[in-house]
Amino acid sequence: MSTTKLGRYFPLYLMLLPAMVYLAVFAYVPMWGARLAFMDFSFVGEHTWVGLKHFRTLFSSTAFGSVIANTLVISAMKIFINFPMPIILALMLAEVRSRRFARAVQSVIYLPHFLSWVVIAGIFLDLLSLEQGAVNRIVVFLGGRPFPFLTQGDSLRWVFVFSEMWRSIGWDSLLFVAAIIRIDPDVFEAAVVDGAGTFRKIFSITLPAIMPTMITVFILNLGFFMNAGFDQVFNMMNDAVLSKVDILDTYVYRLGLQGGEFSYATAAGLFKGAIGLLLIFGTHYGSKRLTGKGVW
Amino acid sequence: MRTLRKSPLVRRSAPGTVINHGLLLLLAFLTFFPLYNIVVVSLTGPAKIAAANGLSVIPHDFSFATYLTLIQVPKVMRGLFNALYITAAGVLVNMTLTCLAAYALSRPRLPGKGLFMVFIIVTMIFEGGLIPDFLLMKDLRLLNKYWSVILYKAVNAYYLIIMIRFFEEVPISLIEAGKMDGVTETRTLFSIVLPVSKAGVATVSLFYCVFHWNEYFRAMIYLTNPDKWPLQVVLRELIVSGDKAAFIGALNYLKYEVGAAQVDMKALKAGVIILAILPILLLYPILLRYFSKGALSGAVKE
Repeated sequence: MSTTKLGRYFPLYLMLLPAMVYLAVFAYVPMWGARLAFMDFSFVGEHTWVGLKHFRTLFSSTAFGSVIANTLVISAMKIFINFPMPIILALMLAEVRSRRFARAVQSVIYLPHFLSWVVIAGIFLDLLSLEQGAVNRIVVFLGGRPFPFLTQGDSLRWVFVFSEMWRSIGWDSLLFVAAIIRIDPDVFEAAVVDGAGTFRKIFSITLPAIMPTMITVFILNLGFFMNAGFDQVFNMMNDAVLSKVDILDTYVYRLGLQGGEFSYATAAGLFKGAIGLLLIFGTHYGSKRLTGKGVW
Repeated sequence: MRTLRKSPLVRRSAPGTVINHGLLLLLAFLTFFPLYNIVVVSLTGPAKIAAANGLSVIPHDFSFATYLTLIQVPKVMRGLFNALYITAAGVLVNMTLTCLAAYALSRPRLPGKGLFMVFIIVTMIFEGGLIPDFLLMKDLRLLNKYWSVILYKAVNAYYLIIMIRFFEEVPISLIEAGKMDGVTETRTLFSIVLPVSKAGVATVSLFYCVFHWNEYFRAMIYLTNPDKWPLQVVLRELIVSGDKAAFIGALNYLKYEVGAAQVDMKALKAGVIILAILPILLLYPILLRYFSKGALSGAVKE
């Protein structure tokens, strides 16, 4: 690069500098710091290399096995049950003739997307509480007995599924609504002239047209399979149900920051990161082959 | 549209339409009611609060007792202040870093642009993880400082890319015209690019704004002094501990005018939840307008 060229672009590089320095320090240094997984942490002096010691302990502990199982089960429940919901919702919204009605419904159901999981956990813990929660009030009214949704591991997993649905069904339908709007209206009119009913139109026109969007979204979800939703689980869990809902991220938090086992927790985190990475790259290339569109 | 509705073809599918509308209304109701119920509980007076529950529709013995108590609880007021401070400072830092970098990267012929983009995108895929993040904060001596939370995700790669897309849409002729007059790059950004990218600036600031307001976890682990906690952490503590005396402060317990002793725990909780979502509710019309556009333009998956 000639000096005049460098001179011309110098101000631009200067503008780029703060963000790059920030990322170097706050994103890249911790990546390098993750090598702690192969060391024994020490508050004073150098950490000592211990190779795969922490990973061996990890894989031989029974707690870790159940944590992995919980992560996979909770993630799978959430992804497979919740994936079709926003699509069905988008199809329903597309059938509404009054734009005003559709927009009113949309503006209500988008709201939970903007709330933190602390708030949503607060809402659901109230909603499902044994005595005064709305759900158990209805159960009692119908002659049933109050059900301890929050203190049984299996039912709390379902609470994760439904609270996630409550939060995201509206917002996640946005992409599909946008994809449906892009379909040429003439195609629908031609189908009506040929005598196609609502469901015929959905299955023969709408769904094939939004298929690429569906595949992309599904694949993206798979890429985040190892997450299982830390904020949600962390705010809704309690000690009574730990064995059924403890996921990788909550495990890392408890061990590392509460238990002070920095190296061991870093190893658990790194393991999760490595699997997550495989999934993201796998889904990226999978998506590219299927839809021509990658994750990035 | 109106004539269509009267055509025989549509009338025949009327039951389906009714069911469809009914289900959508039900969904809207199920979304709305729990939030509405919290407002009701928070406005129920001490005399009737014991009877208030998840199905209450009207605040009996209507009173602001809950809120009058809450504004006297130092923890809550500090939480509110901290949250506002962290959000304001955070968004300022976010936008400064993001706009400067996005402008440089939106210039089509910047040498090395590809490399910088790789450098940014890698941060979307690789993460050091919780413990290395925490140890970095410790090494930087940022633990228990507001800066630890203000600087968390100060450059979000997704939002940076959205910002670049917005800047790339600014007509090149506008920028070149400025260049001819010998205007500096910084001036170009502030007096030409930013004014014509108002929608982009609004979208990305709102993304960052909601992010900071809702952030609780990093604040909880980085800020060891509870006096520095933002409202979300205070709310979390209230939900987890659920202990009124601990929450209000045992010593202060008796001296409140409204009579904290009478204010029910669930009313307090409801009140704090409302405080924690109030800014979101106030911004909601604007959020709806810009978020949907931003989400579709950048195809952000959040």
